[in-house]
Amino acid sequence: MAELKVKELKTLKYERPTIQRGYANQTLCVNLSDANITIKPVTDRMKETFTGGKGFDLWLLWHAVNGRTRWNDPENALCIASGPLGGTPLYPGSGKSIVSALSPTTGSVMDSNVGGHFGPYLKFSGFDALEIQGKSDKPTVVFIDGVSQELQVLEIAGLPDGAHAISEILTNYFGQGKPRNISVVSTGPGAKHTLIGCLNFSWYDPKRGRARLKQAGRGGIGTVFADKGLKAIVARWDTVAVATNDPADEAALKQVAKLHSQEVVEMDPKQNEMATVGTAHLVTIMNDYDLLPTHNFKYGQHPQAPNMGMEIYRRLFDKGFDGCWVGCTLSCSHGVKDFVPTTGPYAGKKVFVDGPEYETIAGCGSNIGIFDPLHVVEMNFYCDTYGLDSISVGTSIAFAMECFEMGLINESHTGGIDLSFGNRWSALELLHQMGRGEGFGKIVGQGVRRMKEIFSKEFGADRSIMEDIGMEAKGLEFSEYMPKESLAQQGGYGLALKGPQHDEAWLIFLDMVHNFLPTFEQKAEALHWFPLWRTWFGLCGLCKLPWNDVTPPDNKQTKEPAKVIKHVEWYTQYFNAVTGHSMTPADLITMSERVYNFQRVLCLKMGYGRREHDALPYRAMGPVTVEEYESRHERYDKQLKETYNVEIDGKSSAEKVKILRKLREERYEQLKDAVYERRGWTKDGIPTLDTVKRLGIDFPDVLDVLRANGVS
Amino acid sequence: MVLVEGRHFSWREGMTVADLLREVGDPYPYAVVRIHDRVVSRPDFENVTVPRGSEVYLIPLIAGG
Repeated sequence: MAELKVKELKTLKYERPTIQRGYANQTLCVNLSDANITIKPVTDRMKETFTGGKGFDLWLLWHAVNGRTRWNDPENALCIASGPLGGTPLYPGSGKSIVSALSPTTGSVMDSNVGGHFGPYLKFSGFDALEIQGKSDKPTVVFIDGVSQELQVLEIAGLPDGAHAISEILTNYFGQGKPRNISVVSTGPGAKHTLIGCLNFSWYDPKRGRARLKQAGRGGIGTVFADKGLKAIVARWDTVAVATNDPADEAALKQVAKLHSQEVVEMDPKQNEMATVGTAHLVTIMNDYDLLPTHNFKYGQHPQAPNMGMEIYRRLFDKGFDGCWVGCTLSCSHGVKDFVPTTGPYAGKKVFVDGPEYETIAGCGSNIGIFDPLHVVEMNFYCDTYGLDSISVGTSIAFAMECFEMGLINESHTGGIDLSFGNRWSALELLHQMGRGEGFGKIVGQGVRRMKEIFSKEFGADRSIMEDIGMEAKGLEFSEYMPKESLAQQGGYGLALKGPQHDEAWLIFLDMVHNFLPTFEQKAEALHWFPLWRTWFGLCGLCKLPWNDVTPPDNKQTKEPAKVIKHVEWYTQYFNAVTGHSMTPADLITMSERVYNFQRVLCLKMGYGRREHDALPYRAMGPVTVEEYESRHERYDKQLKETYNVEIDGKSSAEKVKILRKLREERYEQLKDAVYERRGWTKDGIPTLDTVKRLGIDFPDVLDVLRANGVS
Repeated sequence: MVLVEGRHFSWREGMTVADLLREVGDPYPYAVVRIHDRVVSRPDFENVTVPRGSEVYLIPLIAGG
């Protein structure tokens, strides 16, 4: 172990509250500027309005910032919360944390959900949410010790930079011989050198004898963490049992948990095999349906994609239980043991790699034209240890590669790096440069939106083509699904509050493959219900995977199979069993609707959250270039003729690209209208007064923000 | 024989996934099936043959993300 020099900056003894029906009923605020620690009560109104998890994060963030606050201002609050159901050991997927802050890439509100043990340990230590404000110029560690009932702000010198090493060292240091009692939140050196830093949340894997990592990846939350001078936040808690969360009806909870847990055990091996291959099963399926991003989302298919499918990762993943929370039968957090990187500071050394998941395979593989599964494993490892979001890394490198191939940038700009698609050494070198804060990698690490700015202003590149092919919206890089042929998924990405991440709505299969949403109204309804339902998981401290990645045998006979209503009913029973409420499934949607609309108003407060901010790059909607059009000309010709009644005989491909673009852009605007109306928003995408009143979020300062934006 | 969700179906040389699904007769629009460890998507149902003795799983929905 490295020699650590530990200096106490602040220690506060506290009395740990008894958990009551899923709540600790207080939050913890640590200001790093003066090492001040404050404990705040959670009011009944806060629980009724915001439920918990992301809802609490946003409430704390709302009060921490004003409309002029920027991501690197001390008052930007980095908030982490579990939720009332978080920490239940029997029910699959009940260990999530939700992290929120103002994002360095979007300037607006970011939220990211993550596994690992931190959220539950935080709550059982006595805090429904943690709020970190201020900044420190010392390497700071916040230690929340629920066992000793002590809170500490520590200066710890001698810690390494990499997330794997930090997590391992602090797990041992604070574990006092019980490493399982520790969860560490950390980032890595790439986070402070770029704007796309992620957070690593640990849990201790007793079988493998190591700290494992899951990532809160999106929107540069790790960069906020690093900018605050944080090295780590550590939570310590002891044994977890069902009673630890004080469910109102333990027998009812156990009954419904057993139903869902057993169904996962029975059905997962017959369906997606998440417990064996995680999300890697998606690679070949997405490829088969022309949905796997390749070459910066230019295409959705590549003949070499099966090289990176589940059949390969099934062999690479280390066998064993991989649940990121206690007792989760889905246990999808697989990893590669004894991997030996070929580059970087770990070259030649055996390491354990947590992942890869589908997003990393697509982002750091196919989307940059690389179809080597071991390359993806190496990119995955260094993204984690450098504290970088593997989705933004992949999408950003893909953009830079296409700009390079188009001649918009060249080797004089890249420091001599050949950025042709498929060049695995170049991709790894850029990643190491992000980790070191050097060279062209540092520019790529600013994300796609800022690269467009730099390439046009400093390198003289054509801005308009970069606006079309730069796969970001609201400043956030797209996650790894090709939305071109699904209008509903374009809405799923473009109308998502934080930017194009699929965790709000993943409607490609419903829309494009199954054609269950043929009308604008049906798409709008889906873009109302699914984001709200998925939001609910983030309010409660839950993972969404057990909801619809495993389905009941009789689900296909239900009216709306995509909603997996039986599971929605089970989740309702779960919520009631823990909290003692008597909610219906519809009530759960209303719970989310409050938080969802509040988040939209918070975006508005920060200067975003209007129709203009829901724009998409055209690459997300259709073929930008003649080359793309001609690669799928039968599909596009047919659509122009049969859907739009356009006479295309005698028209060149360039003319057809132009016509199709106009039609598809119009269609997206029509979709916005339909979705805004369904959500109870104005034509400008702002919640109406009636909407905020109906939802009970008509606080005076909410009304002030609406009034300032013309809604009264 | 081919086993599909606990039911046995007779196998014949050259039997494709599409042939098998027609025999199964389930009207649900399956997008993906799995034959042992191999995933086959609907665009390939007419081209991929089912080996004798296969166990075939019908994947009801692909949930994604």
